[in-house]
Amino acid sequence: MSAEVDFKALWNKEEAKDMPDTKELLKKADRLRKITRFKLIAQTLVLLATVVVLLFVGFRIDHEQVTTMIGLVLMIIAIVSYLVVANQILPMLFKSNVEGTSQEYLNQLIRIKRKNEFINKVMINVYFSLLSLGLLFYSLQFVARMSTAWATFYYVMVFGWMAFSWFVSRPRGIKRKQKPLNDMIERLEAVNKQLREQ
Amino acid sequence: MVFDDIYKTYWNKVFRICMGYVNDHDWAKDIAQETFVTIWQQLPKFRGEAAIGTWIFRIASNNCLRQIERQNRMQRTEMPEQIAEHIEPDREPQVQFLYKCIAELPETDRLIISLELEDVKQAEIAKIVGLSETNIRVKVYRIKERLAKKFENYER
Repeated sequence: MSAEVDFKALWNKEEAKDMPDTKELLKKADRLRKITRFKLIAQTLVLLATVVVLLFVGFRIDHEQVTTMIGLVLMIIAIVSYLVVANQILPMLFKSNVEGTSQEYLNQLIRIKRKNEFINKVMINVYFSLLSLGLLFYSLQFVARMSTAWATFYYVMVFGWMAFSWFVSRPRGIKRKQKPLNDMIERLEAVNKQLREQ
Repeated sequence: MVFDDIYKTYWNKVFRICMGYVNDHDWAKDIAQETFVTIWQQLPKFRGEAAIGTWIFRIASNNCLRQIERQNRMQRTEMPEQIAEHIEPDREPQVQFLYKCIAELPETDRLIISLELEDVKQAEIAKIVGLSETNIRVKVYRIKERLAKKFENYER
């Protein structure tokens, strides 16, 4: 018996004895779709609630100076843009098409991961910058009312927090997200390389 | 072709390809199910640009490749060795050994040999994987040689 026939015969002996019922399979598909839809609705609600709370706070305080409002708006933009990109745009951009060839699919996955890596980095930078700037503007009105000593103390605290978030939290956040992405890209590239090898 | 027919005709074929890729019964069943969910969703959009078999095997192969993501998350890269210790009495030892050997191959080789053993024409495999037919022929030959060697040592 040739090796080939042998392998094919052995290969065909494997069977999934319990083939799931079609109805069960389609129920699963439906459940998955419902979960995705529910998640999207929940995320949108959280997003809207955040904006409502911030706007409510914004209109409640007496903003004598325009800088307070600018600060508030910047902070809202920071939070909203982060949520929008993370929850709505990213999943939409990163939908993959499973109907192409393996090579196309691998390249597509690598492209998606790279895009993800880039957007993560950019978004974290945008988020921190807008939030810091917003906080600074927002507090100008209140600092103006303080004594010099308190104002100095306040600025030291604020700048200290900003420096901490920019130089410690931000790189840590980027690194935490990048590590699994980079590992993933490396794995995908290794598999892709297999196709190029003769 | 209606979904029910596709499902009945291709379920075992798709399952075996997934099994060749992961060599884990439950995991392979999960991937096969995911594949059929995609087929069910995409079938109304299928325009027949490729043969239906090619289209189905493409989705199955890509779903297998997607397990790299899952593997990464679960740190299951040592999979084949772990499974080797797990004895399944209702499966023939030779069949188990074949699937174990295939699952130890590089990812794309697993797919190529699985499709070949599933009797998919090499021209079709080329269209599924995205390589030339000559390339596939060479690869199939080399993989079979490797498997034969492993079986030689196994039987000794």
